[in-house]
Parts: sequence; structure tokens; C-alpha cells
Amino acid sequence: MLNLIVSLIAGMFLGYFLRERKKINLSKVTLGAIVVLIFSLGFSIGSNNELLSSMPRVGLNALVILLLAVFFSVVLVKTTRKMVKVE
Amino acid sequence: MIKYILVALALGVAAGYLNNNFGNVITNSWVSGYLFDFSLIFLLFIMGFAFGLDKEAMAKMRKTGLKILIFPFSVAFGSILGGFVGGLILGINVAASMAVSAGYGWYTLAGPMVGQLFGAEFGVLGFTVNFLRELLTITTISLTVKIDKYAPIALGGATTMDTTLPIIVRYSGSEALITAFSSGFTLSIIAPFTIIVIATLG
Repeated sequence: MLNLIVSLIAGMFLGYFLRERKKINLSKVTLGAIVVLIFSLGFSIGSNNELLSSMPRVGLNALVILLLAVFFSVVLVKTTRKMVKVE
Repeated sequence: MIKYILVALALGVAAGYLNNNFGNVITNSWVSGYLFDFSLIFLLFIMGFAFGLDKEAMAKMRKTGLKILIFPFSVAFGSILGGFVGGLILGINVAASMAVSAGYGWYTLAGPMVGQLFGAEFGVLGFTVNFLRELLTITTISLTVKIDKYAPIALGGATTMDTTLPIIVRYSGSEALITAFSSGFTLSIIAPFTIIVIATLG
């Protein structure tokens, strides 16, 4: 967790100090890194036999709970952010 | 964009499955550990960098201030409410169902913790629900972002400080960086506490 915070803040400082430089386009680099990240996430899912075999057994219950949790989260975020006026 | 993500996910799952079941040609921890960590840390640095460059994003963050906390607490409350309603509908242990949804997508925590407090069967449920939450956030981002700019943050729960953060920033813009990160961070901190509180009260 700490290394995530450190790299985020280090990036912010560097960005802040290079602000007046020419435009820097990072979208291709970011996309490449996202692809690598998601691939390795998939890899850890695919190599987890226990997870893969237990999913169908609890699948329906899991889906119901998940969809309700997500639904209420979205509704609440949307209403509260309008109430306190966060753009 | 979403095309690349879905293909990478599918290829990753296939590669991991084949590698695990046919002789571990590649050391598992090399991909799911090092490669994962390295790309994540690199991405956080890049996103921080893009945020630092962006003048508007910083101004917006200052304006929002402490109101930023409405995100994690709305997500926490919404998730637990979803678990409560889901438990009633399914006719299962309602407290367990609430504890499951209080993992906020952090499956490596929710699985073992709920398992210990409510038994193995609910542990599996906790693992699956939260794992699918992360997967759902990634796969539906191009749709959910249209419902509300911050809907992906609500979906992502605790995962918006790491795995789903790069994708959220890609879709919602640099200004969503701090909102998403702080929401995921707060939820990661309160997840173990809410699970324990629910177990104690239930």
C-alpha cells in the first residue's frame, strides 16, 4: 500500500514541476501498462483452481448480492454527490 | 480501449489456467506477483504525473475538499444495504450476506475473513462476490461511466486505489484520480472493521 502512495505522490511532484514544459502525451504508454496489468490480473485468476471451481457453486447467490450492492452504491453516490454539490 | 482490456483479461486467464494445469512453465509469482506489482506502481506514477501536469484537476480537488469523503461512505453504506436486501431475498443469513458485501471488492480480505466469522461456505461467497465486483467494474466501465461520471468509483469499491484505478482515470479523466484513489483507500481501511462489526452485531 505504501509503495502505491509513494509512486503516486512522486509522479504528482514531477508532473507539477514539469508543468510549463511542452505537452507530454502519455496515453499510449498508459494503455500498454494497463494491458500488462490486466493480463497479469487475469493470469492470477486463471491459475487459481480453487477460485475457478468454487464459483459455479455459489454463482447465483453471489450475483444477486453483487448486483444489489453495486446498484445501491451507484444510487447513493449519485444522490449524495448532488446533495453536497460535487461536480 | 475496452477491447484491449477484455482481450488482455481473457488471454491472461487462459494463460494462467494453462500454465497452472500443464506444468508451470512460467513461475506463477513472476506474473501475478512481480509483473502485476511493477505495472501497477508504474501506472500510479504515470497517473500522478498526468495529474500534476493538469492545472484544472488540482483546482477541482481543492474545491471539493473534504466532501471527497462522501464517496467511500456512500459506497460502504450502499454495499451493506445491498447485502442486507440480498440476504432477505435469498433467504440466507442476513448478517453474513452483509459482511460479504462489506468486502467492497477486496476479495483476498473478504474471503478469508467472512470464512472465519461465518463458516467456509460464506467464505467462498465472500470471495466470489468481491472478485466478481472487480471483474464487473473492469468489464462494464464503458457503460457505467455513462450513468454517472463517478459510477465506476461506486462499482470499484476498495479496488479503485489499485487494480481498477488506471482504467477509471482513463475513462473519467485525471480529475477523478484523487477521488478514486482516496475512496478505494478509505474503503480498504474500513472493510475489515465493518466486517467485524457486522459479525459482532449479527
